[in-house]
Amino acid sequence: MPTVVLMDVSLSMTRPVSLDGIEEFQRKNLAVHGLNMLFEHMASNYRLEFTSLMAFSSLWELLVPFTRDYNALQEALSNLEDYDKTCVEAALNGVSNVVQQEWGSYHHTSVFIVVLVTDGSLGIGKGSLRHSLQTLKQRGDDKKFPLPFPFPTKLFIMCIANAEELQMTDAMDNLEELLRLSGGDGQIFTMEGPLCMKSVQTMFGKLIDLVYSPFHAVLHCGNLSSDVQVFPRPEPVVMDEEVEPMPRTVSTDLEIVGFIEIADIASPPVISRHLVLPIAVNKDVDEVGTGTTDELEEEPSASQMAGKSPNFCVLLHGSLKVEGMVALVQLGPEWYGMLYSQADSKKKSNLMMSLFDPGPEPLPWLGKISHLGPISEAADNPYGEDDSKSPFPVQPQVKRSYAQNVTVWIKASGLQTDVQKILRNARKLPDKTQTFYKELNRLRKAALAFGFWELLKGVADLLERECTMLPDSAHPDAAFQLSHAAQQLKLASTGDSQYAAFDHNIVPMHTDFSS
Amino acid sequence: MLFPDREALPSQVFHQICKMKMFSVAHKTVFVVDHCPYMAESSRQQVECDVLTKSRAQGVIPLAPVSKSLWTCAVECSMEYCRILYDIYPKDKLVNYIVSDSEFHILNSWRREDQSTHELMSALAAVGPPNPREDPECCSILHGLVAAVESLCKITELQHEKRIALMDTAERVANRGRIICLTNAKSDTHVRMLEDCIQETIIEQNKLAAGSDRLMAIQQCELVLVHIYPQGEDTLVSDRPKKEISPLLTSEVHSVRAGRHLATKLNILVQQHFDLASTTITNIPMKEEQHANTSANYDVELLHHRDAHLEFFKSGDLHMAGTSTRENGLKETVTLKWCTPRTNSIELHYCTGAYRISPTDVNSRPSSCLTNFLLNGRSVLLEQPRKSGSKVISHMLSSHGGEIFLHVLNSNRSTLEDPPSISEGCGGRVTDYRITDFGEFMRENRLTPVSESSHDPSGKLPAERAKAQLERHTRYWPMIISQTTIFNMQAVVPLANLIVKETLTDEDVLTCQKTVYNLVDMERKNDPLPISTVGSRGKGPKRDEQYRIMWNELETLVKTHAGATDRHQRVLDCIIACRSKPPEEEDRKKRGRKREEREDRTEKNGNKEMDDKSWQDSERLKGLMDKDEQESEVIKDSPDSPEPLNKKPRLTSEEIQPPERSKGPVSLLTMWSNRITAVNSRKHQEFFGRASSVNNKFELYQHLKDENGMDVHENGKATR
Repeated sequence: MPTVVLMDVSLSMTRPVSLDGIEEFQRKNLAVHGLNMLFEHMASNYRLEFTSLMAFSSLWELLVPFTRDYNALQEALSNLEDYDKTCVEAALNGVSNVVQQEWGSYHHTSVFIVVLVTDGSLGIGKGSLRHSLQTLKQRGDDKKFPLPFPFPTKLFIMCIANAEELQMTDAMDNLEELLRLSGGDGQIFTMEGPLCMKSVQTMFGKLIDLVYSPFHAVLHCGNLSSDVQVFPRPEPVVMDEEVEPMPRTVSTDLEIVGFIEIADIASPPVISRHLVLPIAVNKDVDEVGTGTTDELEEEPSASQMAGKSPNFCVLLHGSLKVEGMVALVQLGPEWYGMLYSQADSKKKSNLMMSLFDPGPEPLPWLGKISHLGPISEAADNPYGEDDSKSPFPVQPQVKRSYAQNVTVWIKASGLQTDVQKILRNARKLPDKTQTFYKELNRLRKAALAFGFWELLKGVADLLERECTMLPDSAHPDAAFQLSHAAQQLKLASTGDSQYAAFDHNIVPMHTDFSS
Repeated sequence: MLFPDREALPSQVFHQICKMKMFSVAHKTVFVVDHCPYMAESSRQQVECDVLTKSRAQGVIPLAPVSKSLWTCAVECSMEYCRILYDIYPKDKLVNYIVSDSEFHILNSWRREDQSTHELMSALAAVGPPNPREDPECCSILHGLVAAVESLCKITELQHEKRIALMDTAERVANRGRIICLTNAKSDTHVRMLEDCIQETIIEQNKLAAGSDRLMAIQQCELVLVHIYPQGEDTLVSDRPKKEISPLLTSEVHSVRAGRHLATKLNILVQQHFDLASTTITNIPMKEEQHANTSANYDVELLHHRDAHLEFFKSGDLHMAGTSTRENGLKETVTLKWCTPRTNSIELHYCTGAYRISPTDVNSRPSSCLTNFLLNGRSVLLEQPRKSGSKVISHMLSSHGGEIFLHVLNSNRSTLEDPPSISEGCGGRVTDYRITDFGEFMRENRLTPVSESSHDPSGKLPAERAKAQLERHTRYWPMIISQTTIFNMQAVVPLANLIVKETLTDEDVLTCQKTVYNLVDMERKNDPLPISTVGSRGKGPKRDEQYRIMWNELETLVKTHAGATDRHQRVLDCIIACRSKPPEEEDRKKRGRKREEREDRTEKNGNKEMDDKSWQDSERLKGLMDKDEQESEVIKDSPDSPEPLNKKPRLTSEEIQPPERSKGPVSLLTMWSNRITAVNSRKHQEFFGRASSVNNKFELYQHLKDENGMDVHENGKATR
């Protein structure tokens, strides 16, 4: 979930914050303080996040392109200059451009977080947010308002102002409209109490808790386990707002249920992908090898120590990679995902977790997950003794239309093909007796269902004609079968329940030419 | 005022799965098809079914073309609608089919087992075409429409299940539905009369439903009235877009000529009603029927859920993505290019959606060629044509268990790129993980579908039993090679594989015992053991030490399972009986009374069953051994038997952490730490303080006390 920080550097941000007696700040200083806090937090707890920093006034500028270098972001913050008036629309166009240039057009698999930091004075005249929103409906295609973005977005508006101040003007209404236009996902934060370092910290603290708090969990495989961070944070999910309005959240205990071959899981659809990074929660967990290493080397750093103590994630990752398997993992009640090894182009490899749609049966070809059991319970190993078989995919009870030779005559060609097939086989009687009757019965069934009795009569006529055109060399059985079939079709076309039953089949006439 | 601070709504921040509601109008569709005498009229669209080949044409009078009746057109188009629907939504998008003449005939129910085109075709065959001689005055579509409203009030299995599951929030289960009426209406006034009648019936039925458990009031009903008239006639009914008749009822009217126009209309409707979209696969190479060595390229159109085009919709520019507008201007399809599959390599694609497909022209040759190819297990990648000419693989067609899915592949740049490699993180620098062994473990813990009917007496679902098996298999599972001896020994394999089982047969116990005897034999022959020398100076522990480590580890493994059944216990008993004399005894002889006291105390404190039991068992066994355990006698007396152990005082795993012992079953971590500590302790002379500590505590600076004759400190804690 890459982040774009959009920092208002208009003149109004330089308004001083009146604090009796104490040192004087500008709103900009507060904003920078809050962002510094955010970046510091991300550097230590959420460092895989790509973040970019943009400044805007009536123009916009990309100060730091998407990066994980939080020092660079903080340095750019310290060099901010002051410009003219606020123009949110231009800045949002900038966000759209920057994101699409960096991540490609129409990115749809990742949510982008836009953190708009402003004092809530949203410009004046043309280019002001008020003006932008008022003229929303009077725009041509070339000048569309940038929201909603062509990629999934969460918009967080950090106001260096209190709610009361914003409500005195229409600023809050306009910001709410902005949030609504962005798709409604996100939040407006305002400062509580006096504008000071402490209240700005509180406000950014809330953003951090909501969006950037690392997701820690324990990955279990029976008694083996590992503390992990799941990155990015798995988001709560709502499957059906009406039946189950409460969002489902991923449990902090991730329990492996069992293992499945990559070929069997077959590139399943997932709602999100996450890195599963082992973390050392207790620095003093393991003392393996300390007896031998400590005399020569210096005191090893905590991370070196953690690197040296065996971790279940590394073991799991190694074996998943070697065996070409995935681990099925339970994320909560009736919610599952899979763990697998993912290698990037640089041959770096990682343990990844993908989340399936919540529900008891996210992948039809596995059946209900709760009904997957250990192979040891089966009488014979369902994978075969030499791994030559697989119990997957699970077959559906009813075949789909394309797998069961259905009859569709919507296009004339469909009907013509079916009739021709019967005639072709009719000319090869008695060799093709079985196929002839199979095709005949297929046509008969469809004609009866569609109430298409005229066709039955027509085909009966055709068969009778074929009968008269049989060459002298024809087998005598051909004539018998043709007239028998024609007669049966004619009887069916009367709708007489004795002959027109759907499940009835015309059977070949019993003849004996063996003597 | 809106929310000045939106923190009141933290739930605003969640991922909304973009799908239709479970109980939208699409959950229940009632087809009401007119079976009155005028439906027997010809559609006047003729089909030539006697296509004569040139060679046979001479002298043969071709059969007169046949023409479908209005009824036949209505039935086959509605069946096509159902076919597509059932292909794409095999579950819980339900159809109830009603035929109306002088009365109504309900051909199936909402029950899942009734939901198939085969069922419907069979029922339709029983109905047959309309009887043209029936009295038109008695016949009306109204009978069917009233029945349709009644049917919509009937609860479906899914509604029932969800209401039960939701308990006190059962009201969240909505009841909505759609009525698709295929009829030949007389006029716009006639249509209005039908709408009014449905509206009245809904109100009446809703009153009835209020007092019933098996009925639900209708919250929303969508009437789609399709007026069918023969080719070449003018329509008496005008088209009308959807309008609201009442908060409960909306209605739309489509006036369509019978034949292919009707088919096109219903194809568009099924797409609208079920959020479908169309994709045309182009450039499919196919062998020509006549000329087997040439191949031509074909196109096949597929329908599927429109989310498979989500990326194109988001872009707001469908044309870019290769959309073509059909001649009728109504239907749009996205074109994707076939990429001839390479080898059948197994790859885990990053796939953001998989949607069932249904071919629009199911039994055309190109369609069936494509579907058969896929059903045979091949997957096909699809390329999205881009103006720039760059190649982007955006989709994949693949079948799973006889169902074909259109997978959406991620073609975006990953936002997780360039993460630190797993080797850079925790545990990343450890190099001797038991990767192969864990691979074997994973294969043993693979999953398999278990039929829902097979009920386990424990009442546990199969997935729970799978987890229980994982638990059993990991009670003692060292992760690295240098932490284990027994798992590096081929000789232990039979026992290690068996002991983790939930139950053992007598034969299993015998195999385990044989394994143990075999180990005893190895010990007697002084066979080397694969003890890791990693981290130890010199040659590592002596042979007898090695065996002691091995036996301890084996005992640890088996102890974790001994409580399961008597047979598991018997395996443990065998190990305890056969292994070289437990060190505790020797230790005790050498140590002073202090230790005895400590052990007694620990024994008294130990309150958890498992530990107690194993202790008691080992005590009991020691007694047994002294008396009549022949095998152990033999070993003791054998000239090959190892030297007496414990030349110097050392710690056993029990000694080091008495606090853990008293807490309950030993954790895996404790077991390892114990073992590792035990190993390490052997490499140096034990600290005097620790060796003679009480409760792992030893008073420091005792000499000061002696010298000064006063109590200076409390006992300091002996640190490691």
